[in-house]
Amino acid sequence: MSTCDFSRRQFLKYTGAAGAASIAPTLTASDVAQAATVAPLPVGTPILVIVTLYGGNDGLNTVVPYTDSTYIAQRPGLSLGASEVIPLSDGLALNGTMTGFGSLWTANKLAIVLGVSYPQPNLSHFTSMAIWQTGSPVEEISSGWIGRYLDNLPHDPFRAIGIDSTLTPLLAGEHRVGSMLPISGLQVPTGSLATQMQLLASSSRQDTALTADAADSIGDLFQLSATVGPVLKNAPPSSASPLGQQLDVVGNLITANVPTRVYSVSLSGFDTHSDELSAQGTALGQVSDAITAFLAQVGATPRANDVVVMVYSEFGRRVATNGSGTDHGTSAPVFIAGNSVAGGFYGEQPSLTQLVDGDLAVTTDFRDIYAALLSDVLGTDPKKVLNNWPTKLNIITNAS
Amino acid sequence: MTSASDRLELSRLVHRFGFGPKPGQYAELLGRGIPAARAQILARRPHDPGLNALVTPPFPDMGPAPSDPTASHAYWTEVYNQSISVAMWWMDRMVLADYPFEERMTWFWHGHWATSINKVSFARPMKIQNETLRKHALGNFADMSRAMVQDGALIYWLDGEENSVWSPNENLGREFMELFTLGVGHYSQNDVHQAALAFTGYQVNQTSGAATFLAKQHDFKPVSVLGKTRAFDARTLSDYIVSRPENATFIARRMWFRFISTSIEPPSSLAKVFENRDISQLITTIAKSPAMRRPGVSQAKSPVEWFVSACRALRITPSTLPSSGDVAWMLDSMGQFPFNPPSVGGWPYDEAWLTAASTQYRIDMTWYLLQHGHLEPLTSVAKGKMVEAAADWLGVPQWSTRTERSLNQALSDPVRFATLALCSPEYLVSA
Repeated sequence: MSTCDFSRRQFLKYTGAAGAASIAPTLTASDVAQAATVAPLPVGTPILVIVTLYGGNDGLNTVVPYTDSTYIAQRPGLSLGASEVIPLSDGLALNGTMTGFGSLWTANKLAIVLGVSYPQPNLSHFTSMAIWQTGSPVEEISSGWIGRYLDNLPHDPFRAIGIDSTLTPLLAGEHRVGSMLPISGLQVPTGSLATQMQLLASSSRQDTALTADAADSIGDLFQLSATVGPVLKNAPPSSASPLGQQLDVVGNLITANVPTRVYSVSLSGFDTHSDELSAQGTALGQVSDAITAFLAQVGATPRANDVVVMVYSEFGRRVATNGSGTDHGTSAPVFIAGNSVAGGFYGEQPSLTQLVDGDLAVTTDFRDIYAALLSDVLGTDPKKVLNNWPTKLNIITNAS
Repeated sequence: MTSASDRLELSRLVHRFGFGPKPGQYAELLGRGIPAARAQILARRPHDPGLNALVTPPFPDMGPAPSDPTASHAYWTEVYNQSISVAMWWMDRMVLADYPFEERMTWFWHGHWATSINKVSFARPMKIQNETLRKHALGNFADMSRAMVQDGALIYWLDGEENSVWSPNENLGREFMELFTLGVGHYSQNDVHQAALAFTGYQVNQTSGAATFLAKQHDFKPVSVLGKTRAFDARTLSDYIVSRPENATFIARRMWFRFISTSIEPPSSLAKVFENRDISQLITTIAKSPAMRRPGVSQAKSPVEWFVSACRALRITPSTLPSSGDVAWMLDSMGQFPFNPPSVGGWPYDEAWLTAASTQYRIDMTWYLLQHGHLEPLTSVAKGKMVEAAADWLGVPQWSTRTERSLNQALSDPVRFATLALCSPEYLVSA
C-alpha cells in the first residue's frame, strides 16, 4: 500500500476492542478458578506450532544468496546487498529484518530447510496452499494433514487449536476438526441463557451435516471457554503485531498447561507482486520478532524444550523481478525453530541458473518435514497421515 | 395445509436468493404456493419501494493526502470512516430491499471478483465497482467481465498499475483466468504471461477510481493466449476468454455450488444454459432445480448473510445502529466485512463459519441487535404459539426437537427466546 499507512483490519480490532467487550454477559474474575477443569498437559510433551504465511513468500529475499551474481543481475532494485542481510554460511544470509532469527541461528535453534516444495509445483495461491495444507500433492483430497492426525485420536476440542475466527483447512479432518479461538479470548453467556444455549448444542436426528457442525460449534464454545476463557482473560495479548498477538495467546495457553498438541497461527501480506522490498521486509521482521519473543516466553517456563515452530508459505517466487516485485514461483525455504531443533541447513539450495521450466528446482519434498514433525514432535506414525510417505528429515534432536 | 417440502423449498428461496424474509413475508409467500412465491423472489423491479428509505452518503474523491500532520490525521480518519460507511450503506440496501434478489446477486459477484479495500484504501473506487457489479449482476457475463477488466479498484488490487510493456506483472492475468473466468488447470503458465502482456497499459487514480489507458505503456505486439494469436487488449482478451466453453462450465458450477451446495454436482446440462452468458437465465434455472426440494442440500450462512437476515427480521437498518464501529468490529471478528475479503479468492464457505470463535461473536452480536430490534412477531402471539410463530418469522422450515426444547424454556423472555432462535443451528444453516 503506497498511500495508506495503517492496516484497516488491525485498526478495526483496535477501535472495537473497548466498545464491544461489555455487550454480552461475561465470565467474572472468580471463574478463573475453573481454569483447571481439564487434565493439564504434562511437562515434557512436545507441542507443534504451525505458522502459515499467506501470499507466497519470496524465498530468495528471505534466505538470500546475496553473493550470487545471477541473483544480483536478475533483481535490479530488488536484490539485498551485504549490508542488508545477516550472513549465515554457504553464501546464504537472512533478510536483514530477521534479527531474532539470526540469534536463533547462532544459538543453533533454527533449522532452515532449503528448496522445499512438491513435485510439479502449482503456481496458483489457492491450489498450492491446498496442497500444502492437505499434505497431498498428487491426489486432490479435502482433509488437512493435522486434521488427519486428529482423525486417528479420540475427539478432544483442545487437541488442535487455531487462532482465528474461521476454520483453517489445515485442522479439518475427515471426522474431526480442530477448534478456532479468537485473539480476544472466549466469553460465554451465563445463567439461563447459557443453559438454554447449551441445549442447542445437542445433536438431533433431524440434523444435516452442517446443522450438526453448527450445534457442535456451540458445544465447543462452552467446553473450551471454561478452561481457555479465564486464561486468556487474565493475560490479554500484549504484542503490537497481528502475528505477535496470536502467538501471545498460544504462549499463554501453553504456559497454563492447556492440553493442546498443535497450534495454528498465520500472517498474510506476502503476495508481493509490487513494492516488495518494504512490504516483505516489514512482514518478515514481524515473523522473526514474534516467533523469537514467543520462544523466549515459553523458554522461561518448564516447557522450554517442548515447543517446535514451523514456518512455511504456499510457494516462493520467480528468480527475476517484474519491476518492483516478483511473480509466483516454486520452491522456498521452510524454518523449524525450538530448543529441541538441531539448527543448520537441510537440503540443498536450488541453483539460480539450472532452472526447471524457468523456475527454481525442488530439492526437498515438504512431506519429509511433515513426517519429521508427526513422528518426532507429535509421536504419531507419519505414514498414516501422509499416505505412506516413506522418508523424513532428522531435525528434532530428542526424537525417540 | 402446506407440505414440509414446500416449507423447505421456500426457506431456501428466501434465504439463498434473498437475505431472509421480512416479518410476515414467509407465511404470506407460503400461502401463495411455490411457483408464485418463486416468481416474486426472482422478480426485479425498476424501482424497489423498500429502498425509498435508503440514505446514500457521498463518497467524494478524497484527492491526495495533505502533508500537514493535523490535516493528514483528519484525512485518514475520514478515509477510515468511509470504509465502514460504504459497507453499512451496502448492508442497508440488502436489509431494506423488498426485492433483494439483485442485491443478493451483487453480493455473490463481490465474492467472485473479490477486491479488498484493505489495499484499495478508498471507498469511492469500491462503490464504483459495486455499482458496476449491480448493473451487470443479472445481465450478460461477457459485459460484466469487460467492465471489470477496466475497473479501477480491481486493476489496482491486482497490480495492474505495475503491469507495463517494460515490466509485465502477472497478478491480474493469472487471477483473471484462475478465479474469474476459467478455473485452475484450464490455462498454462505461458497463457498467464501472455495475458499479462495484453492487460498492460492501465493507470489508476487511487482516490477517484478512474482507470486510464496509456498507449505508451501498453504492449501492442500480438500475443498467444489459449491457442489464439492476435494483438489483444484488455477488452478483446476478456471477450475471447469469456467466449471459451470452459468459461460456461466454470461459472455454472461456481454458481451452483454457492446457491445449491458443494455436496452435489450440478446437472451436466447446466453449462449449456449459460451458452449465451446470460446470468439471469442461469440463476433462474438453478432456482427451479429439483435439488431445491431435496433434503440435506444445506448451506451455512456467512456472517454478513446471517447479520443481514437478522436485521431484516428485526426491522433494523444497519447504518442507524448506535455504533457502526462496533458493528464492523463484530462482523470482522466473525471473519467477514463487505469490501474486505481476505484474499482475491473471496471468503470461505459452509463449515468454515461454524467455529467456537464465530459462535461467541454471533451471541454477542445477537445480544447487541436485540437491544435495537423489534420483536412484535413474538410478543404479539400467545406463549403457546411462539415456537411455531418464530419459524415463520425467521423463515425456518422446521425446528429440530433439540431447538424446540431450548426455545420452550425461554417463552417468558422474548429477548432470550430470540437470542436462541437467531443463534440456532436451523437459522445459521439453510437446511
